[in-house]
Amino acid sequence: MTKTHIPPVIVLKELRKRFGVGDAEHYALDGVDLSIEQGEFIAIMGPSGCGKTTLLNILGLLDRDIEGDYELNGREIGSLSQRRQARIRSDQIGFVFQSFNLISRLTVIDNVALPLIYKGIPKLKRIKMASKILHDFHLGEREFYMPNQLSGGQMQRVAIARALVNEPSIILADEPTGNLDSHASHIIMEELSDLHKKGNTIIMVTHNPNLTTYASRVITMLDGRIDTDTFQLPVVKPVTEKKPLGKTTKRTKSKKSKGTK
Amino acid sequence: MLGITIGVASITAILSLSSGLTSIVRSQVDALGGTIAVVRPEAPAASSRNTLEQLTAGQQFATSSLTDADIAALEHIEHISAVAPLMVLHGQIKGTSAGPADTPVVATTPQLKSVSGLVLTEGQFLDPNLSSATAVIGPQLSVDLFGTEDSIGQSVQFKGSSFTVIGVLKRTNSPINYNNVDLDEALLINLDSGRALNQGVSHIQQINLQINSVANLQTTVAEANKVLLKAHANQADFTVMSGEEIAQPASQIFSALATMSVIIAAISLVVGGIGIMNILLVSVAERTREIGIRKALGASNRDIIAQFLIESLAFSIGGGIGGYLLGYLAAFIISNLFLTFDPAITWQIALVAFVVSVVVGTLFGLYPAARAARKDPISSLRQYD
Repeated sequence: MTKTHIPPVIVLKELRKRFGVGDAEHYALDGVDLSIEQGEFIAIMGPSGCGKTTLLNILGLLDRDIEGDYELNGREIGSLSQRRQARIRSDQIGFVFQSFNLISRLTVIDNVALPLIYKGIPKLKRIKMASKILHDFHLGEREFYMPNQLSGGQMQRVAIARALVNEPSIILADEPTGNLDSHASHIIMEELSDLHKKGNTIIMVTHNPNLTTYASRVITMLDGRIDTDTFQLPVVKPVTEKKPLGKTTKRTKSKKSKGTK
Repeated sequence: MLGITIGVASITAILSLSSGLTSIVRSQVDALGGTIAVVRPEAPAASSRNTLEQLTAGQQFATSSLTDADIAALEHIEHISAVAPLMVLHGQIKGTSAGPADTPVVATTPQLKSVSGLVLTEGQFLDPNLSSATAVIGPQLSVDLFGTEDSIGQSVQFKGSSFTVIGVLKRTNSPINYNNVDLDEALLINLDSGRALNQGVSHIQQINLQINSVANLQTTVAEANKVLLKAHANQADFTVMSGEEIAQPASQIFSALATMSVIIAAISLVVGGIGIMNILLVSVAERTREIGIRKALGASNRDIIAQFLIESLAFSIGGGIGGYLLGYLAAFIISNLFLTFDPAITWQIALVAFVVSVVVGTLFGLYPAARAARKDPISSLRQYD
């Protein structure tokens, strides 16, 4: 239960994202308050156009023009330069997309090694690291295949390997099983679930209610707001209050997290 | 890429030819022990613009600022071992058959032999003790006039005067040299005879000085400058040149050509650069999705710029290498067909070709690269390929 003393990985306050100008003005996100703890597996659900993907893009620092506060690991994001943000994407965030987004002219191993280029890792080491992670995903024999020679499930596993190769703390998955059949979907979900058990924070957008069984917390969105959230605040409350000898700093911190909720 | 190739090729060709030309004259000067200085009746060229004006004025000066008194003054300078004035007249010479219309006739003194290191195949050089109506003939002129290189004792007519051939020069095959006269095709006569053919006035195109040792070259050149400046009432209407400087004026015609071809090269480089820019812009548009993926995986704007700049440099340097080789090919073909010297191969030319390619690649790659870097990752990812 020491988990609760760690400050939340992600804190969103009054997050708003506007599209269009004038008459066409429209808020894709209209005041989202959210706090995500380390090691959560979150499934975000909701109808099309409710802002799920926009939220994920903002969490992944791909979208810059936002109103409101976004704190990642205690750091305010809005004030960071583009270069710093790219650095954070490189170090802390892994993306998994619905359409896999492998670069079709690169081999599987080059695709997996891609994020390492931007960390400045020398070529030989990049290939070794990529090779190792591909073996972990049982794709060892496919290293030098081109992406179009793989099945959808294999491509998505390559994409997950790529997302993990630089050991990010947060994995953002945008409908990772959207283009897969149910069998491949479950394989992918097992992979994600394994990652979750290893302590990674996973935030997944999905349309498929069956997949929410893998998640530890399910958030449904509607019209740019959070509609329901299965996060149980009482889990946090008793822990902090039952510790009268706890340090004051811890207390203020836990209070903070309560405040955000 | 083709534009870059053509641009770099023309730069390489012209540079290799002009430095080949410069080095041929330099090697002639060096062959004479590097102890040669030359006085020419022209003010020092202040700029390339001046050079061009002199070119259009031609090498024959209406009036030469150098006088007989200058020759005498130069002869008295310490360390100068020989002074050879060159007075060049042009006209048709007649032997058994008529020669070319514009044959150069060089009126000079016997010292020219030692100053310019002339070698005779037959006979003897000019000698003041002999009759003034004697001449030394260039081998090619001898062939033109008499059908043979062996023309000792024959007589030639020039401007109504008759000269007896007393010597034949050895063939040098160097139409380009610091005397600005092709001695293979020239007639050499005594300075006095030349003066007599020019209404008794000396018209000295150049004075060659031989200095007794290399160590004294610079001081002697300075001294000659001082003496002549005094004789010319402090008017610098002459130039004393030594070493490298002598080689330069010979390549003036080339520098004018070089200016032209640099302009042509610049145009084709711009065209080539725009070509590269176009290829890259298409490639940026095609790979929008890839850019989005790379950004999502942590590439910063600089990484994207670097990626496309490297691509642009690959194009331009590839084109540059092709152009460098093509330029040398062209230079060798030109020199074999029309010229008497080989293009020079120096690392400077390779460097210039390389730098030009890199600059063009960077310059024209920057805009597509910046465009790629500015792309919004979200809309890039949404684009389907």
